[in-house]
Amino acid sequence: MFEDSGAGGPAGGAGVGPLPGGAFEGVVHASGVEIGVADAVEAPTEQLDVSVIVPVQSPEAEVADVARALGNELDAQGRTWEIIFVFDGVRGTAWNHVQELRARLGPKIKTILFKNAFGESVCLSAAYERALGRVLLTSPQYVQVDPLELGPMLAEMDKGADFVIPWRHPRVDPVLNRIQSSLFNWVIRRIIRGEFNDLNCYFRLIRREVLDDIPIYGDMYRFLPVIAYRQGYKVFEIKVRHLKEWGKAGFFGVGVYLRRFLDILAVMFLTKFTLKPLRFFGTLGGIFALMGSAVCALLAFQKLAYAEPLSGKPMLLLGVLLIVLGVQIIGFGLVGEIIIFSQARNLKEYRVERIYE
Amino acid sequence: MVPIFNEEESLAILHGEIAAALGSMEVPWEVIYVDDCSRDHSLRVMLELRRSDAHVRVVKFRRNYGQTAALSAGFDQAAGELVVTLDGDLQNDPADIPAMVAKLEEGYDIVAGWRRRREDGFFLRRLPSRIANRLIAWVTDVPIHDTGCTLKVFRSELVKSMSIYAEQHRFLPAMSAGSGARIAELVVNHRPRRYGQSKYGLGRATRVLLDLFSIKLIVHFSQRPLHYFGMISLSFLAVGMFFAAVGLISLDPDPEAQTAVGPIAINDLELVLVSSVTLVFILMVFFALLGLLGELAVKASGMHRRGTLSRILNELH
Repeated sequence: MFEDSGAGGPAGGAGVGPLPGGAFEGVVHASGVEIGVADAVEAPTEQLDVSVIVPVQSPEAEVADVARALGNELDAQGRTWEIIFVFDGVRGTAWNHVQELRARLGPKIKTILFKNAFGESVCLSAAYERALGRVLLTSPQYVQVDPLELGPMLAEMDKGADFVIPWRHPRVDPVLNRIQSSLFNWVIRRIIRGEFNDLNCYFRLIRREVLDDIPIYGDMYRFLPVIAYRQGYKVFEIKVRHLKEWGKAGFFGVGVYLRRFLDILAVMFLTKFTLKPLRFFGTLGGIFALMGSAVCALLAFQKLAYAEPLSGKPMLLLGVLLIVLGVQIIGFGLVGEIIIFSQARNLKEYRVERIYE
Repeated sequence: MVPIFNEEESLAILHGEIAAALGSMEVPWEVIYVDDCSRDHSLRVMLELRRSDAHVRVVKFRRNYGQTAALSAGFDQAAGELVVTLDGDLQNDPADIPAMVAKLEEGYDIVAGWRRRREDGFFLRRLPSRIANRLIAWVTDVPIHDTGCTLKVFRSELVKSMSIYAEQHRFLPAMSAGSGARIAELVVNHRPRRYGQSKYGLGRATRVLLDLFSIKLIVHFSQRPLHYFGMISLSFLAVGMFFAAVGLISLDPDPEAQTAVGPIAINDLELVLVSSVTLVFILMVFFALLGLLGELAVKASGMHRRGTLSRILNELH
């Protein structure tokens, strides 16, 4: 057990000793305080080619298969690598498998154990803080995509892509799921105008700098390629062979669809209007106020031209209500502007790659 | 300080002109080229310039962030006492710089260029820009004819104490005038585009309008948002009172109700009128509360205590 915890290396900065039952790189407590301080983490000195990040959310996760498939392929590509398993509040048999892997592969296997389930975004950012790779590969907890596809994906990366995402082209999961998924991607394409066909597959290659720039939280994990694309990074999509799919077939609960919809709205707002809230609220409120004014103008015209009395006309109420609604929305935009301006000093809008003196 | 985005052809000529103009002034100078992640060979040209001329510094962005970000990066990096901003497309003439600096030395904090004779299409570029400039000047009370001209000279204390974001660069004079900066204007040369494509287009009307709103808010009320919202709130109060008065005057005296002389019961009034007036009063309360929220945001950020810009301007004058 001592050797195990010693294998932690430079990443064991969490300051939490090994708990009974296994050794950890770092244990993030339910408070999640440690997550919020990405800036405080210094850039790792030693660098690898690829860090594989696997969020483990099921006790039966096929961690050994994932490690074997990806490890072999990365070796075949001649890349140095590590695999970080982030246990998202679960342990089960997967935990034992990872311990065996650690015994066999040593520091190439790292683990992060959360006491509670925090979701994929937190998994990714916790692993990102500890990863040594120049390129991060996120992988689902089972072999979802043919590992042979790694070659072409890494080749795209070498050609200068910042983000390579897969498109499971001939999909093997149930038809109903496929229809829902393509509907979702279609909506995203309409709203955000990025040409992505498959945002629901997490077998993704990300250049480290992208995550330096883009904070990940909530459900933003899914939309990371879209956000990166909107921020000007080069995002490529390539077709991959789909091997299998976990997850249940059929429809999800209503809550899932609602959340997805709100996420889309949030992404649209965040990618376009973060610094200019008034452009969003002002346009929206302006439309309502204009509609209300049109209604009121119509009534005023009727009153003046045909002497129709205003009394007893609910239409007037509708017009006034619309104007009030529009003005309120614009008011929210104004407060948003004040908030952004008062924080302007903390917002650095740009990142310098290099200064040539 | 020059923001550069895809300007490989113009760079060499531009640098020659800048060197000639600044060299003639016999002061120490530097040029900062901010490469906004150009997709052509601009960066290579810049690095070659740097090799042949020690005055050149190049800041390379990680990706394309836009002109405002490029300018604020340049402001952060600039070492000079005065900062000159210049377009990378050769439409500004660096030969104007000495005159502008001389103007600044007369006791101003900002000298803005005014392209009186613009070499752009009239309907697509000049007319909209003239309308926008009139509006900006009228709303912000800073009579500048040409906010879009990049050629400007600033005192560096000024720009270093401000943070600009989201296409605010054109409002820099307006924003600093709110804190008491002295601003002058000078007619500058404007040349037609020689290389490349213009990076602006039409269709920004609503955006400019909305930005104007927020600039007005920022310039005059960022320290006391409650004043701004309070004024809006009071104007709604006035509207509400007006309608209420109209309603009371035009109240049709009901013969039956007249028997009881005294306060008018609310049920005698028109439903539609009462609800409209109520809604306007709701708006009044809403804006008063928004103003309080704004105060909270400003207080929480600690911005009201800093007030750096006005302090620096005080020291300068």
